[in-house]
Order: sequence, then C-alpha cells, then structure tokens
Amino acid sequence: MAQRKIRISPDQGTKTESITLNPKVARRSFLKLSAATAALTGVAMTTRMTAKAATPAAVKEAYPDSTMIRSICTHCAVGCGINAEVQNGVWVRQEVAQDHPVSRGGYCCKGASAIDMVTSEKRLKTPMKRVNGKWQKITWDQAMDEIATKLNSIRDKDGPDALHLNGSAKVSTEMAYLQRKFAAFWGSNNVDHQARI
Amino acid sequence: MTNSLNDMRHAKSLIFIGSNAAEAHPVSMQHILHAKEVNNAPIIVVDPRYTKLAAKADEFVRIRPGTDCIFIMGLINEVIQKGYQDKEFIRTRVAGYPAMAEVAAKYTPEEVENVTGIPAAQTIKVAKILAMNRPTSLTWCMGGTQHSIGSSITRAFCILQLVLGNMGKSGGGTNIFRGHDNVQGATDMCVLSHTLPGYYGLSDGSWKHWCRVWDVDYDYIKGRFKEKKWMNAKGFTLSRWYEGVLQEEKIEQYTPIKAMIQWGCGSNSNSQYNRVVKAYNKLDLFVIVDPFPTMAAATCTTDNVYILPCSSQYETSGSVTSTSRQIQWRYKIVEPVNGCRDDYTIMKDLVDRLGFADQFYKNIKEVPEDITREINRGTLTIGYNGQTPERIKKHMDNWHTFDIETLQARGGPCDGDYFGMPWPCWTEEHPGTPILYDISKPVAEGGLPFRNRFGLEHKYIQSGRTEDLLAAKGVYNPGSEVKGGYPEFKDVVPGTNWKTDLSQKTIKEAIKRGMAPFGNARARCVVWNFPDQIPIHREPLHSPRPDLIQKYPTYEDKPNHYRVFTRFKSEQNPDLAAKFPFVLTTGRMVEHMGAGAETRSNKYLSELKSEMYAEINPVAGNNLGLRDGEMIWIESPEGGKVKVKAFFTERVDEKTIFMPFHFGGVLMGESLAGNYPAGHAPYIVGEPANVCTNYGYDIVTQIQATKDGLCKVSRA
Repeated sequence: MAQRKIRISPDQGTKTESITLNPKVARRSFLKLSAATAALTGVAMTTRMTAKAATPAAVKEAYPDSTMIRSICTHCAVGCGINAEVQNGVWVRQEVAQDHPVSRGGYCCKGASAIDMVTSEKRLKTPMKRVNGKWQKITWDQAMDEIATKLNSIRDKDGPDALHLNGSAKVSTEMAYLQRKFAAFWGSNNVDHQARI
Repeated sequence: MTNSLNDMRHAKSLIFIGSNAAEAHPVSMQHILHAKEVNNAPIIVVDPRYTKLAAKADEFVRIRPGTDCIFIMGLINEVIQKGYQDKEFIRTRVAGYPAMAEVAAKYTPEEVENVTGIPAAQTIKVAKILAMNRPTSLTWCMGGTQHSIGSSITRAFCILQLVLGNMGKSGGGTNIFRGHDNVQGATDMCVLSHTLPGYYGLSDGSWKHWCRVWDVDYDYIKGRFKEKKWMNAKGFTLSRWYEGVLQEEKIEQYTPIKAMIQWGCGSNSNSQYNRVVKAYNKLDLFVIVDPFPTMAAATCTTDNVYILPCSSQYETSGSVTSTSRQIQWRYKIVEPVNGCRDDYTIMKDLVDRLGFADQFYKNIKEVPEDITREINRGTLTIGYNGQTPERIKKHMDNWHTFDIETLQARGGPCDGDYFGMPWPCWTEEHPGTPILYDISKPVAEGGLPFRNRFGLEHKYIQSGRTEDLLAAKGVYNPGSEVKGGYPEFKDVVPGTNWKTDLSQKTIKEAIKRGMAPFGNARARCVVWNFPDQIPIHREPLHSPRPDLIQKYPTYEDKPNHYRVFTRFKSEQNPDLAAKFPFVLTTGRMVEHMGAGAETRSNKYLSELKSEMYAEINPVAGNNLGLRDGEMIWIESPEGGKVKVKAFFTERVDEKTIFMPFHFGGVLMGESLAGNYPAGHAPYIVGEPANVCTNYGYDIVTQIQATKDGLCKVSRA
C-alpha cells in the first residue's frame, strides 16, 4: 500500500526517496490518510504519478505557522468533515476528520482528493467569451457589463420569462436562496436546479 | 431523510431500492454495516443490477427497471395478507388505509412476478424478513424516482413504512439519500420552478409572505412580472427548459426562452442531451458560471456564450445541508483562486448592474450571515428558523462533542442539541428534530407528530366514507396539552398562522403548550390531489413488455406540464421493443460525481477511472457477436447514440444495458475536447450516457425517466 510505503520510508526521516503514490493519497505526499479510508475506497493502487515521499516526521508535524480549518466535502450529501491545513493563505494539506460525528474519519476517493478542487490546473481563472468561434479572455467588468446589458435588452423586448436560470445543489444554502430570490426579483418562475432530476 | 445516517445503526433490517450507497454514498456504509454486523440486521437490495451495495446484501432482488411500484404494492399486500401490518399504528396515525389495501390486493406475488421478474417466493420471503425484523430502514435514490410513475413509486415506499409501523422510530423511516452535497439545502430554498423558498408554493399568500420577509412591496414584485398570472404559474423545469428554446413541442408561454444562465449545473445530466445541445446553439445569450468549464462550453459553438469562473465552495463560506438534514457551516479555507470570484460577489455584481440591488439586498449587509438570517426569518414551514449562523458555526466548532449513536451533544457548548439542528428547529433554543414524526419525545426536545396539511376530514368519493384526518385520541407527544390529534395553529396573532406569523409568536406558543405548530394528524395513503390517488403500476413509456401495455397503460398526454406539452399515451408504442430490445438504465460510480466537470478535472480521480463504458451481460454480448472491450454503439429510439467500450459483466441481466452518467466531452462519436477553452478541457472525456436516455417524464414532478428506457446495441 502506498501509505505504508510512506511510513516505512528508510532511515526514519533522514532520507527521502521517490515512490509511486496512489493518486488519492498523492498530493506531493502531503496527505495523511487513515487506513480506514483506504479500506473504504478500496481502489487500485496504480498510477503514473510519482512524488517525493514525506518523511514520517513531516507527516506528523504541522506546517510552520499553519492553521487548521474545518470544512465539509462538496461531493455527495453524506457531509463528511474535512480538516484543511492552511499556510500563508495556501491550502497545503488535507486530513480526514476522525472526530466528525457522521464521517468519523471516513473518506471516499472523491473526498480524499477534495484539495484538487482548488489546486487543479483545469480551473478557469478569467472570464471567457466566444468571439468568431474562438474563446477569448475578457475582464470581469467587460463580462458583467455585456451580460447585464444583453439580459436587460432581452427582458425589455421579450419579457422576463425569456430567461431561464438553472441554479445549483452545489452552492451554499445561502447562495441557493439568492438564486431563487433572483428569479423572483427578475420577474419569472423559470428557475430550477438538479434536484428536479 | 426522516432519520439520519447515524440512526441507521439502530435498524433491525434495511431495504435499499434504487440506491447504490456503496458507490454513491460510500462513507454512509460504516453506519449501514454497523447495523448489519452488530444488530444482525438483514440487508435487502432491490436493483436491476448486482451493484457493489448488492454485494453486501443478504437478499438481492433483481427487478425489471420501472416496476418498483408493483413490487412494493405487492409487498404491502403480502404484509396485509399475512397479518403483519401494524394495526395500532394504522388505526391511530394513518388515513385512507382501507382504500389502499383494496388496490394492493390486486398485486399478488404471482402478478408481481409476471411484471417485475421477481419470483413470487422471493416477494413472500422479503415481506417476512421485514415483518420479523422491525424497525426497517428504507432507502431509495434516483433509481426509485426517475420514472414516468416516479411519484407513485416513492409514495408506495412511504405507504410500506406506514403499514409496517416503521415511521417516527429510531432505526426506521424513509431515508432517501440525496445526491449532491447540498441537494437538501437547495431544495429547501426551492430553487424550483413551482415554489418559493420553504415549499410555500406560488399562491398570492406565498408571494405576500415572502415580500414581507424581503421587506419589499408586493406590488413592486408583481410589477416585475409580465402579468400577474405568470407569478402563479409554474415555470419550465431543468428537465425540459430546452423545449422552451426549440419550440418543437407546444409551449405555454408568451415568449420562447432566449437566454440561459447555468450556475453550478453540469448540463450533460439532462436526458436526450443531443436535443439540449441543439437548444444551446439557438440561444441569444448563454452564461455558464462554474469553477470548471462544463460540457455546455464545448457543445455550444455560437458566439453568444460566456463563462464566468466562480470559486469552489472551499473558497467561500456558507451553510450546507446534508442528507440527514444536518446544517453544517463551510468555513472559507482559502481566498478564491486568483482571477475567480465567489458566487455571492458575482450575484451582487449582476444584480447591481441589472438595477434592483437596493430592493434585493435590503436586509443583507453581512454576507453570507445576513442571508442565513433572512432564511431563518422566512422559512417557517419547515422550521428553518432556529438555526442561526452563530449556532451552526458553534456546532461546526464542536462537532467532536456529538454522540455517534444519538447525534446529541454530550456536554460542551452545544449540550443537548442534535448535530446540525436538523429541521424543524422551531426556536433558537430548540435542539433540532433528529427523527421526523417521532411522538416518543416532547416537541420542544425534538419530537414531532404527522403534519395536519390537508384539512380536518375527507370524504372518499368511491366508498362515500368520511374519515377524520387528525391523529386518534391518545396519540400525542409527551407534555402535549391536547391528548390526541389537533389542527395547525393559527390566529395566535390575528390574521396569521404558524407559517406566516413573522413574529414567530405562534410557533413559540405551540411549543410552550407541548404541541407541534403544524398540528397532529394522520399520514395519507390516498393522495386526492394526484392523478393516481393510490399508487398503481403503469408500464414505462418505452416498455420492453408490449404485452403488458394494455393492462397497465400510461397516462393521457399532459398539454401544459410546466409550460410544455408532454406526451404519455401517444408515446407508448408497443412496437418499439422489437427494434430496441434492451432496457437502458444509468447510475453512478464512486470515482466521479454528477456530470463530471469537477471530478474529470481532478487528476487523481481521472486516473482512477478514465474511460466510459457500458455494462452488457456476456450472453447478450455473445449473441450479438461482440467481444468484451470492443467499441459498440448504443442507440436510443430518439436517434441519440453513443460510442462506448463494451464491458461484459453479469452485474446486468441479459436484457439490460447499464451506463454511468458522469462522462462528457464527446458527442455521438466525436470528441469535443478542442472546443473547450485551450488548456481547460477535462483530463478525461467520454460519451455522456444521457444522449441515449429516452423521452419520458414523471406525471407530477416532471423528473426525467432515465432508468427505464430502451436501446439497441451494435458493433462500432
């Protein structure tokens, strides 16, 4: 098991070696995960990714000046606890929440890799607009100006029901509430979200 | 869920139907397996597939997709025939039982076998297991709901639990596992086209209530609509909004849909996805708000599309409601990734520019806490008023103080509260309600009777019998002033009731008297406001059993179903099965989530499961001359087709094809990876199963029928 490999890396912390990591455990080997997690997910331990193995000491110790923040996994509705270690405003490591009353240290592979929601290089970092068939980066101001102008002109010409808003079960309850409230203030009941299906 | 995941530890038996918790809700399994191993609780799994959950079952029941209702009604009949029903529970807390029992009597074990394929002896055996091992926890998911008769199927589940007396009990209940992390919260806030937040509906009274909460004039909101009648008319749904764009079906709205905002919504979870794509390309304006470009960004190729990169939920804060109705606070872990903005900021910017920010944000200064407070103020129907932001955060900070068995805090700052204050949480002192309809506890301590919602009595048309809808004498929560059924509270503050009294004096008065604000009534077996008042079987729209269509026909067509003509009878063609011989069903895998934009952009998960596939039984595969691992076409009657890898497995029977629905980025054999913004295509792409899921919608909710369509298979 990849995790065991980390723990038994030679020389008890003086030497590091390159090992193959299970992707759900890998995050530059910063993740410490309980054996229960590996048992729960039961996934194959194969990957092409390699990373520097952390020493046992590094696995145990907190990052200097780091804080631990409690959060909740954003995948399914079990609502598993996440302990996020943050250093200088950067989410550096994720731990299971052994003391969360529902998940009790459990994670599936999705929860175990939650940190990549923030770190994934696939994240978009600027508003985009398609121009003559090609994606173009635009500023937030330009995007919001154009969208608002178009929305208002559609509303004036065709009426508020010409807009449909598909909201979300992936946002906070507060945001979901704002999505429904938005439709009401916009003047339409054409609003819905994934729970319909 | 009426109970909680942790409470399932107390079940004496568990039945799952249309749920694959081992893959869809893996961490819940520790509580389920606790019941199995510690209580010796038998697990029954009813599914068309031998799923990973089925591998843990004591009894696996293989069912033909779309026949859940007749199986459950057959179980109910068997329970009644053998005298297993909880007669006292039925006498005191259930309405409409005799009429329901009469309908159930038609569904003998033999008839159940004929329709579902489940051997008669197995139905008899399952009924006995449930009867001998009470309380039973009953769980369903989308496998139970995504059918044209989904609303009848789910009601049958509830009736089974009423008949067995399993409601309002620890270890019992109807425990629907919600899909996404905040389906419960977003549903409670009613991001839904047929109701305002808190399930208030769209009546004038509801609008007036919310206008009071928002502190705006009712006439101002009315003026925002085209005409008043559109305020009260249900809107288009997520399942069929695109019909409003395409106008190939008759729509009931003064304008087609011309603009779409998809905010946190993976588009390829829509059935008939190829038609959705057509609609994208006909829009005048399409705005996608998401941390990752969804498949919509690759399928919409016009110039009218924008993507706004919002942050993930780890880069903002707010509450989230788990499947157990627990409200948890997500603290912000880090600031939004450079260049992204959080949802609240984007909404504020949009509303500012649209020109109604003054009215919209009247009570909201501190974000998101003031929004939580506005929700507390208005959402009285489900008791969302006691969960203040301060209390939610306190629970989060002290989650280690809650007991695993009861979910109640033992000492510490939250002493006595139930974790996450599951609604209803009637006041700021109330601990939350961990088990709905539990009359063993005082209401002030988390007890609850059944709600009085449908009048005081009802006259059944067929039998002419009039029935008292309030609970019988002697049924009440400890400390209740009335020792039996009672109606909902009103006129404590003249002219208001418990749902509309913003001072919340009514609610407090009820709690003080030991009573539930919403009354103490009976649960109904007969729903007189539904097309099928008592659940009955109807064949799927696209049935693989043409011989059953005449006996179990679907509904008449519905002309205005959420603003669009919806075919039922005219769609049910007995000749279809000859050309499309396989039943197509879909579901989840543990490595991915929803439409997959997030998980397929996650390098770890992408590597774990990187390829789309279809499960086909080896016998069926060999009969078609296919080889395991080769590419095949799966085609729907509507002309949607996907090119996927054949995966020979006996998880499915010889008549069924299964596909996971998390893939996207390929459309009918053609990769669209090049259509994403450069560098932002997900790591893995694959055909979306929903190109093949068939036409078909529930008669009440318009949920799409993705679990019981037809398809044909050929070598690619």
